[in-house]
Amino acid sequence: MLNFIIRRLLIAIPTILIIILLSFLLMHSAPGGPFSAERSLPAEVLANIEHKYGMDKPVIEQMARYLWGILTEFDFGPSFKYKNQSVNDLIASGFPVTLTYGIWSFIFASLIGVTLGVIAALKHNTWLDYLATGGAIIGSVLPNFVMAPLLVLLFSVYLNWLPGGGWEGGKIQFVILPVIALATSYLAGIARITRSSMLEVLNSNFIRTAKAKGLPNHYIILHHALKPAMLPVLTSLGLSFVGMITGSVIIDQYFSTGGIGQHFVNAALNRDYSVIMGVTILVGSLTILFNLLVEVLYAWIDPRIRY
Amino acid sequence: MYIDNKKVQDLADRLSSSAEIQGRSLWQDARHRFLKNKAAMISLITLTIIVIFSITGSAISPWNFEEIDWDAMSDVPTLGVPSIQSGHYFGTDALGRDLYSRVIQGTQISLMVGLIGSFIAVIVGTLYGATAGYLGGRIDGVMMRTVDILMAIPFMFVLILLMVMFGRSIYMIFIGIGLLSWLDMSRIIRGQTLSLKNKEFIEAAVATGVKPLTIITRHIVPNVLGIVVVYATLLIPGMIMTESFISFLGLGVQEPQTSWGALINEGAKTIQHGTLWQLLFPLSFFIVTLLSFFFIGDGLRDALDPKDR
Repeated sequence: MLNFIIRRLLIAIPTILIIILLSFLLMHSAPGGPFSAERSLPAEVLANIEHKYGMDKPVIEQMARYLWGILTEFDFGPSFKYKNQSVNDLIASGFPVTLTYGIWSFIFASLIGVTLGVIAALKHNTWLDYLATGGAIIGSVLPNFVMAPLLVLLFSVYLNWLPGGGWEGGKIQFVILPVIALATSYLAGIARITRSSMLEVLNSNFIRTAKAKGLPNHYIILHHALKPAMLPVLTSLGLSFVGMITGSVIIDQYFSTGGIGQHFVNAALNRDYSVIMGVTILVGSLTILFNLLVEVLYAWIDPRIRY
Repeated sequence: MYIDNKKVQDLADRLSSSAEIQGRSLWQDARHRFLKNKAAMISLITLTIIVIFSITGSAISPWNFEEIDWDAMSDVPTLGVPSIQSGHYFGTDALGRDLYSRVIQGTQISLMVGLIGSFIAVIVGTLYGATAGYLGGRIDGVMMRTVDILMAIPFMFVLILLMVMFGRSIYMIFIGIGLLSWLDMSRIIRGQTLSLKNKEFIEAAVATGVKPLTIITRHIVPNVLGIVVVYATLLIPGMIMTESFISFLGLGVQEPQTSWGALINEGAKTIQHGTLWQLLFPLSFFIVTLLSFFFIGDGLRDALDPKDR
């Protein structure tokens, strides 16, 4: 197992490096820089600014310095747009917010999704099953950018129960709507996958054997059925996690929560390259690490898998 | 002993006509199963109506999608409401433009993104996956490792990056979506190819000296076509969602062109002003179309899945 984790990590590291280099090169091939956006500066001033940020050096050297800064000091450089703020500052202010509603969404989606899926499978072809399946189908066409306005319309504009935006340090009433908006479509997906994989397991031979032995039903479900049924679910959890991080862009934009997605979109609109790159690299690394975690869990749950 | 004369007669009839019974091919079988699937059939009809609407619907509208109705613009919540008299069947947007024509325009763009995205996925993903699976060995390792690495990249961020750098245009969306859509497809096809590779008919082709590329295109690809069709259908809603996601952020299609995501975004901004139709019309089109694609995809999968036969 340790061997396997090390081997996966050895693959993960070059992948992160590729992401860094790729986004750096993309940025450099872009027409127009961060300082050419608004009114044009005099040539000397521009040269001075570019010199200050080291942009007059050859590409290779800039790349090496950037990489070196990240690896040695975890330094993503200064923001090109906001003076006195480094990319690290922006990430430090946005990341806790994203993490808060991200983790809640993830817990919410996986717990309720798995529970719904298991119930639907156990009560196969009853009204409960139809209700859960129908709900899951509808939920899967309600991505975050559809749920967000609908929730605000219902709970903020009509019922006036919850605020339609803001963060206020993460008070509970500000967290609820973003979490539901972000989680719904993934919850639905997880429920569907859980249901179909649970059904498949419940129809397999070893469950029949367990029933024939006379084991009590709840014991069969908890000790025999659940573990193998969770394998496909695990894969979809990994995808959900990535989707939720990506979805934070929408959530931050719509609810003005001030998370990392907001910085990303602002930076994208302002051509603030260092911020875009910093966020992309951070999100990319997180994605890779989470996928690694899923693979390790996979190998741990399923003893047949040996890499 | 009691013998049911009618049954005996039936049996005799059937035996005498047995020469005419023909075997059904996989595709005939699948079509039969698909036609029996009510949800899928209703979805197919709905989708056809939406497609026809998006092509011909603008003929009955007095407004086009970028024309501004200055009267309605002065007081959108009262003059811009959906009505037959004013010619704004779906009302107007916040700028006084006819929402009916804009929804048609958005539907065209969104459907096109879905179709082109899955077209790229089918072509690139199938060839890539089949090649990797058929050649095997080190080439397969390198090719699939590349897919793994590409999959680990958070594509939405890269796509936004691309949009920022090379200008926001619908073509950039096509390229971006094309870049990420084929990855899943190639994995699925590779898996299928691996199981086909050792079948006798492939061996026969190899033995008669057919070139690898011809084997892939003539023998392997036709045999994975069923799965390709199912996944392509299931991919379309994903493509449409990706495009809407980006357009919702205002980074996708540019004015005066529009798409569902952009329309939903515009509608979502004005929900406090009592102009609900601006949100609900594009939203219903989005949801109904996506649901239709899901049901059709599910129906196709059930119809083509040999496990259920």
